[in-house]
Amino acid sequence: MLQLPRPPAFPAPEAQSPPDESPGWDAALELYYAELCEYTIRLVGSAETAQDVVHDLFLHLWDTRGPRDVVRLTRPYLYAAVRNQALKYLRRCRVAGAWIERASREEAAAADSPSDIYLRAELEHTVERAIAELPPRCREIFLLRRRDQLSYEEIAARAGVSLGTVKSQMWRAAVMLKEKLAPYLACALSVIVAGVK
Amino acid sequence: MTDERDLIRLIEGDCSPEEAAAIQAWVVADPRRIELLDELRALWRLTGGGTDAAHRWDVAAARQRLRRARAAGRPGSGAPQPQRYARPNAPAWARRVFVAATVVAIGVGVGTLVGGRGRSAAQGREYATAPGRRATVSLADGTRIQLSVDTRLRVAPGYGAGERAVELDGEAYFVVRHDPRRPFIVRTQRGTARDLGTEFAVRAYRQEPYLQVVVATDSVALQSATGGASAALTLRPRDRGVIDERGRVSVDPGVPLERYVGWTRGRLVFDDTPLAAVAAQLGRWYDLDVRLADPSLGDEHVTITFAAESADEALSALAKVLDLRVTRAGRSVRLATAPRPRSSASDTSITPAVLVRGE
Repeated sequence: MLQLPRPPAFPAPEAQSPPDESPGWDAALELYYAELCEYTIRLVGSAETAQDVVHDLFLHLWDTRGPRDVVRLTRPYLYAAVRNQALKYLRRCRVAGAWIERASREEAAAADSPSDIYLRAELEHTVERAIAELPPRCREIFLLRRRDQLSYEEIAARAGVSLGTVKSQMWRAAVMLKEKLAPYLACALSVIVAGVK
Repeated sequence: MTDERDLIRLIEGDCSPEEAAAIQAWVVADPRRIELLDELRALWRLTGGGTDAAHRWDVAAARQRLRRARAAGRPGSGAPQPQRYARPNAPAWARRVFVAATVVAIGVGVGTLVGGRGRSAAQGREYATAPGRRATVSLADGTRIQLSVDTRLRVAPGYGAGERAVELDGEAYFVVRHDPRRPFIVRTQRGTARDLGTEFAVRAYRQEPYLQVVVATDSVALQSATGGASAALTLRPRDRGVIDERGRVSVDPGVPLERYVGWTRGRLVFDDTPLAAVAAQLGRWYDLDVRLADPSLGDEHVTITFAAESADEALSALAKVLDLRVTRAGRSVRLATAPRPRSSASDTSITPAVLVRGE
C-alpha cells in the first residue's frame, strides 16, 4: 500500500489567505460532502463519527487554505485525506488493529457511477422481483428502511411492532435477498473490492 | 451481545461510536464475518437505488456547522469524543435538484471555468477545465455534462430552441435528457455524435488522432466529419465507436465501461495502453508535464488503474509496474528506465518504486 498524503501541518499565513470566502472550498463541500460521508462510514461504522471526521477535515482545509487549495480541493486528495483522518480517529479510539488495517485498504468507490447505472439497468428488474418476493411484513419493513429511509424507531412506530422485530425482519430480508441475488452480489462485490495495483 | 444483525447497523452507520468499535472488533475476530460484511455491503449497494448518498446527508447543515466552528475559532469536533450531531436520516433531507444552468466546478470552484456566467443562451456559452480539474455542467433542459481534465465545451447559440448542439474539444460524459424534437448533438473536429436518448462518453482531444464515443445506455448515432452515409453508424450500450484520422468509422462491441468512463468518478483505467498515452493522460489529469527519457519507452504497454491517488502515488505505482525511475521537479516529470538493481526476483513485491523529488 502506498503512503497517503497527509494534510500539511503548517498553518497558512494569514496574509496569504483569501480575504473572506474561498469559492473552491465551498464548491468542494457541496460536491463531495455526501460521498465523503458515505465513504467514511465504511471506515468508522457510525454516521455520527463520519460527519465529525469530514467536518474536521474541512475545518482543517479552511484553516490552512491558500494557494495549495488547487491541489487539495480535488476528489483524489479529499478521499486520501479523509481516509487518513478516519484512520487517525480509529487509532485514537483504540479500535481493533485488524479493522484499522482493513480500513486502510478501503478503496474510494463512489456510490453511483455511469457504469453502475448501466449495471443497474440490467439488475433493477431482478432486484425488484427479489424484493417483491419477500414475505409481506418483511418486505414492508425493508422498504420503509431502504426506500423511505425511516429510522428503526420510526418504522417500529409506523408498523406497530417492537424495535427488536424491526431488526430481525431487516436481517431476515437481508438473508433472503442475499440468497436470491447471490450471482449478482458476486459482481457488485467485485466492483467494490476491485483493488488498485 | 454483538450478533450478525448488528452488521446491518454498522453498514448503515446507525450506531454510536462506541457500538461501532465493538462491532468492528467482533467482525475482525472471524474472517467469515468479514466476508459476510462485504456481502451485505454489496447487497445494500444493489438494493439502495444508487441515489442514497445525495439526500441522506444534509450538506446545508454541515456548512452551517463549519461556519459556526470557524466563527468560534474551535479547532475541530474534538473527536474521538464526537459531539452529538444531527442524524443523517433526520426527516429534513431535501432531494438535491440541479438548478437550471448552474455550474459546479470540481476542483477549485468557479475559477476553473471560463465564461458560462451572465450570458444568455442566445449568445452561447463556453465552459473549460484546466489540466488537473474537472467540472460538471447542468444545462437548462436537464442535461448534465461532466467535463474531464483540459476540456472545452461550447454550448451553441440558441441551444434548445431547435437542435441542442455543443462543441467538444477534450473528454466529457453526457447524461442527456432525451427529446426527439430537439436532438442533442456533440460536434467534434472529427465527427458528430447524436444522442438517441442516452448516456455516453466522448473523447476528442485535439492532440489525439481519433474521436471515441462509448455508450453506457440507449444509443448514439456517430457520424464522421468527412464521410457520407457510409461513415455513420448507430452505437448500442457498451459499444465503443471510433473515428480515426482518415474519417473511418469502426465499432468495438462489449467494451468494459469502467475503462472508458471510470474517470467520471476519479478513476483512470488503462488496459494494455501504450505508455506514451498513459503519460499524456496523467499529464492532463494531474497537470504535469510528463516526459519519457527514451521515446521507445512510449511503446511499452501497461495495464493499471489509478483511483483517488495523489500525483506522486500514481507515478510511484506506475514506476513499480514498469520498473521505471521517476524524477519530479514541480510540474515536470521524467520517466526513465530504472537501472537494473539485482537478479533476485524473489521479493519483487517489496521492490521500492523510485521516486526522486526535486525542488
